[in-house]
Amino acid sequence: MIRGQGPLARVLRIGAPDGPRFLFSTALGAAAALCTVGLLACSGALIDKAALRPPLYTLTVLMAAVQLLALSRGPLRYAERLVSHDAALGALGRVRLWLYDEIAPRSPAGVAGWRDGDLLTRATADVDLLQDVYLRGVAPLLVAAVTATVTVAVVTFVLPVGGLVLAVFLLGGGLAASGLAWVRRRRLGTGEGALRGELGADVVELLAAAPDLVAMGRDEEYLERALASDAALERRARHRSWSDGAVSALVTLCTGGAVVGLLAVSTSAIGAHRLPAFMAAVLPLVALGAFEVVAPAADAVARMADHREAAARLVAVADLPVPVQDPDAPAPLPAGSDVALEDAVLRYTDGGPRVLDGLSLAVPEGRHLAVVGPSGAGKSSIVNVLLRFWGLESGTARLGGTALDQLPQDRVRSRIGWVGQDAHLFPTTIGGNIAVARPGASAADIAEAARRAQLGPWIDSLPDGMDTPVGERGARLSGGQRQRVALARALLAGSRVLVLDEPTSGLDRPTARRLVDDVVTASEGTSVVYITHRDEELAGFDDVAVVDAGRVVATSRRDG
Amino acid sequence: MAVGLVGTAALVAQAALIGAIVQEVLIDHDGLHHTVPALVALAGAFGLRAVAAWAGEVAAHRTSASVTSTLRRQLLTRAVALGPSWLAGERTGELAASATQGVDALDGYFARYLPTLVLSALTPVVLLACIVVRDWFSAVILAVTVAVIPLFMILLGLEATRNADRQWARLSGLAATFYDLLQGLPTLRAFGRTRDGRHTLERANRELHDETMSTLKVAFLSSLALETMASVGTALVALFLGLRLLHGTLPLGTALAILVLAPEVYLPLRRAGAEFHSSAEGRAAAARILDVLDAADAASPPTDWAGARPLPDLSLQPVRLAGVTVRHTGRAQPVLDGVDLSLRPGEHVAVVGESGSGKSTLLNVLMGFVVPESGEVLVGDEPLSACSMREWRRHVAWVPQRPALVRGSLEDNLRLGNPDATANELARALVRSGLDGLVARLPGGLATPVGEGGLTLSAGERQRIAIGRAVLRDVPVVLLDEPTAHLDAAREEELRDALAPWLAGRTLVMAAHRGGLVGRVDRTITLLAGQTVAGTTVAEPSATILGTPPGRGSSTTDRADDCRTAPSGVNG
Ligand SMILES: Nc1ncnc2c1ncn2[C@@H]1O[C@H](COP(=O)(O)OP(=O)(O)OP(=O)(O)O)[C@@H](O)[C@H]1O
Ligand SMILES: Nc1ncnc2c1ncn2[C@@H]1O[C@H](COP(=O)(O)OP(=O)(O)OP(=O)(O)O)[C@@H](O)[C@H]1O
Ligand SMILES: [Mg+2]
Ligand SMILES: [Mg+2]
Repeated sequence: MIRGQGPLARVLRIGAPDGPRFLFSTALGAAAALCTVGLLACSGALIDKAALRPPLYTLTVLMAAVQLLALSRGPLRYAERLVSHDAALGALGRVRLWLYDEIAPRSPAGVAGWRDGDLLTRATADVDLLQDVYLRGVAPLLVAAVTATVTVAVVTFVLPVGGLVLAVFLLGGGLAASGLAWVRRRRLGTGEGALRGELGADVVELLAAAPDLVAMGRDEEYLERALASDAALERRARHRSWSDGAVSALVTLCTGGAVVGLLAVSTSAIGAHRLPAFMAAVLPLVALGAFEVVAPAADAVARMADHREAAARLVAVADLPVPVQDPDAPAPLPAGSDVALEDAVLRYTDGGPRVLDGLSLAVPEGRHLAVVGPSGAGKSSIVNVLLRFWGLESGTARLGGTALDQLPQDRVRSRIGWVGQDAHLFPTTIGGNIAVARPGASAADIAEAARRAQLGPWIDSLPDGMDTPVGERGARLSGGQRQRVALARALLAGSRVLVLDEPTSGLDRPTARRLVDDVVTASEGTSVVYITHRDEELAGFDDVAVVDAGRVVATSRRDG
Repeated sequence: MAVGLVGTAALVAQAALIGAIVQEVLIDHDGLHHTVPALVALAGAFGLRAVAAWAGEVAAHRTSASVTSTLRRQLLTRAVALGPSWLAGERTGELAASATQGVDALDGYFARYLPTLVLSALTPVVLLACIVVRDWFSAVILAVTVAVIPLFMILLGLEATRNADRQWARLSGLAATFYDLLQGLPTLRAFGRTRDGRHTLERANRELHDETMSTLKVAFLSSLALETMASVGTALVALFLGLRLLHGTLPLGTALAILVLAPEVYLPLRRAGAEFHSSAEGRAAAARILDVLDAADAASPPTDWAGARPLPDLSLQPVRLAGVTVRHTGRAQPVLDGVDLSLRPGEHVAVVGESGSGKSTLLNVLMGFVVPESGEVLVGDEPLSACSMREWRRHVAWVPQRPALVRGSLEDNLRLGNPDATANELARALVRSGLDGLVARLPGGLATPVGEGGLTLSAGERQRIAIGRAVLRDVPVVLLDEPTAHLDAAREEELRDALAPWLAGRTLVMAAHRGGLVGRVDRTITLLAGQTVAGTTVAEPSATILGTPPGRGSSTTDRADDCRTAPSGVNG
């Protein structure tokens, strides 16, 4: 990442719509704007000239110009809008993908302190806000600048004093409007994005925790809590409508100033015969047209603070440290698939408790280790370390004898099949969820994985079988079914190391026993780490490690 | 609106003044000093317009802000009230997007489109009236061209609305996708599928892009039509004005005034058209929001309403399930098929059955989260559906299978169960739920932030928090959904002993897979193929189905296991 650059500039560069297209749309916009000004000027001139009752032929050029300008303005605007929106939308898509790319290597440890709803708001509302930077931020400023310059130049050519008057009001008015917007924004401060993020996060939390909240009769209270940021947003919107109103009032005043000023100077110039009489109405009308085109620029400046905040909220994610990094010079992936932890120390937060406190264990290749211990002992944390979701504070984790931090994370994970304790299911079908492990897998392979995970008869009983949707986070399955789908997924991966975090906690005994038989006992040659609470399952394992308070406090071993 | 009319009046004055001044200069050859009063008046007209613009902006936002806030509240209230079974079929990210961005998008509709719409009907009429008294011919040209515009707008507007619905679906779908990716990222990473997630996002992006562009094309086409109409109309007016000036049939001042007014006749309509299209997203979101607000009540019983009957005394009356049948969408067999069950006050009942047999569904029926297809829940003789659900839930403590944490301290999360609990009660709940060890270990103790943005506790710890919440509630009915799934046998027994004093005298329904906690219940119900198998008491041998109660041999367990393998999965 390049430092020393404003967040807005950074994000703009990431989304950077292809330069030529952007310039093209700006050119189209400027042309349309000039048409607007030109149309007013030509019609004014036409009428003024006509009032002096010259022969008709002297007016034909002006008449043609009026028609041409009137007809070309619309298509120009149409083309400009299509091109600019297309470019802007493309840019937003790129920014969103970039955000995903930045979050991915940080998940879960790097974004552990972040709320999903807030990240979601960044990817949607904040990214969408940037659309305005392309459409209403940079482009209107450019269009306004071009139009203002050309108009002032032309007016100056006709009547220097007039040019000066127009320039003063355009520039001065523009500056004053931006200044006003700026001051207002300063007083309001930023924080609207943060409020929106909070609203999003609270809403997501409310929906996710709804069953618990309703059950305890606390839903209304949490609804109010979520809407607190809504009230704050509403207050800000009211303040903002004041400043927005002030900006448009100021623009109107400046238009008036320019029109009155130009009328005055052209009147005296006509009196002194420095200006042809038919120009009497032209200059004021040009002023009207010019301000119509320039007004959006004041608006754009007023919004700049919002845009900067949105960009800052995106960049903040990208600037988070990456908690687990790949080595610069990775070691080759070892042939063996034995797994070991040596004196492992893990803390989730700086200064937090040592969740793993000098823990050592070893799973020789092809052996099956059961890990037991009270809840909160650190069993799942062992898995987090093996999968490289979290890095160790000290000590070593090894795969095939090589320290994990010497290996690229992806390669380590490709060796390990994993079932988390609260495994995530994607809102697709049962089959789709299993196939996540191996997208090209054949239907037969998927069915076999499902069978080993003890899902077979149930899936057969479903009208849609493997194509049954599971709902968000598996909400349309029972607890035990969710676990087994996740297990089937891990089995499909066909990894040489299996790490299973309490796959049977939601299962009845007979099913659990068959599952252990079909998954663990049948995994000849696969190294298995199997976390469980059930003493009766331990018999089938080669080794058992009892974990408590982040250490192995007892082991038992079956030779063979 | 009054503000808008003031603005229009100022506009008319402004046009007339510009015309008059130019007339004086050009025709009457007046010097600067003669035009000063008119110039001052012109400045005044601009001043008035400025004030009108300001006031209009402020007023528009005032109305819109309260409307959008109300809508947001209604949507969320409804979504929560529809409850877990409805939410299970929805996507959180999509609903959240509707409640945040979708409602925000409506701001444009209320703050801009509606006011401009009213003005667009009034202003042209007023302006045309001003023009017609000066020059009827220009007024006719303007009136004809203006009259065509609404026709365009209606035609294109219909098309745009169709598109916008699809566009909103894409936009909120993108939010749902992103939210799901966020939650699934660890899984994607574990299986080396981060790129697949990226492709999913890319596809959602592309679909949104295409849909948006096709919506915009229609919108821009309509502004093109409007602008062309306006330009052509203005140009025609200018031409005819010029011709008649040439023949000396029209004073210059009038001509100029009309020329300045001509574009303003179209402006409100053009603006209304533009705002119509830019509020398309809001309107489409509103359609979606209304869908939720109107969602069939069948999904969930009303929580609270005026005619609710008082709840019978739970310490005297039994709670009964009478012929309860539940069928989930897309499933062949009903999960519960005519289940009858009576719970005496203070009775402890365990519900067992293999995974997917409907234990959680049974508890959800009791919680009122699932409305049975037929049959009902009765308290005494009163059907629960006639009582206030809120009132009923006040008397129930529920420990779900997958409890949720909310952002806040550990204490906040416990107090969710009972905000008025005393420090003593809290301390006792910690001991009973077995959380005292954790609290002692955490440097921040009870004040440690947990949930999103805080500690993600271990699965067993989360479950203990749910138990702690329940224990804080002094209620007659307790529903526990596999409260010990994450505990080993020894700790399960500890928990059982710790909870026993609290459970005494309360009606308990507990879903369970394993023995431990079941050992002490009065009755065990087995769910099989959607039906309850005759209730048994602990003393009877079938209790061993549940596993090994402490002190018994394991051989019985095995035999029992084997008996139960036959119907495996059939009903799941
Ligand atoms: N992401 C996290 N951030 C901070 N603390 C965590 C995190 N995950 C777990 N912990 C804490 O670390 C300790 C060990 O948690 P872990 O999940 O490893 O326990 P466990 O042995 O798997 O327990 P259970 O049997 O309940 O699953 C717990 O006290 C828990 O609160
Ligand atoms: N929202 C839903 N839509 C469709 N089917 C559902 C839904 N919720 C549950 N089911 C199905 O209903 C059946 C019963 O589910 P339930 O959660 O009640 O089982 P359970 O006995 O609690 O199982 P477990 O022990 O695994 O938790 C399962 O087959 C499940 O797939
Ligand atoms: Mg765990
Ligand atoms: Mg269940």
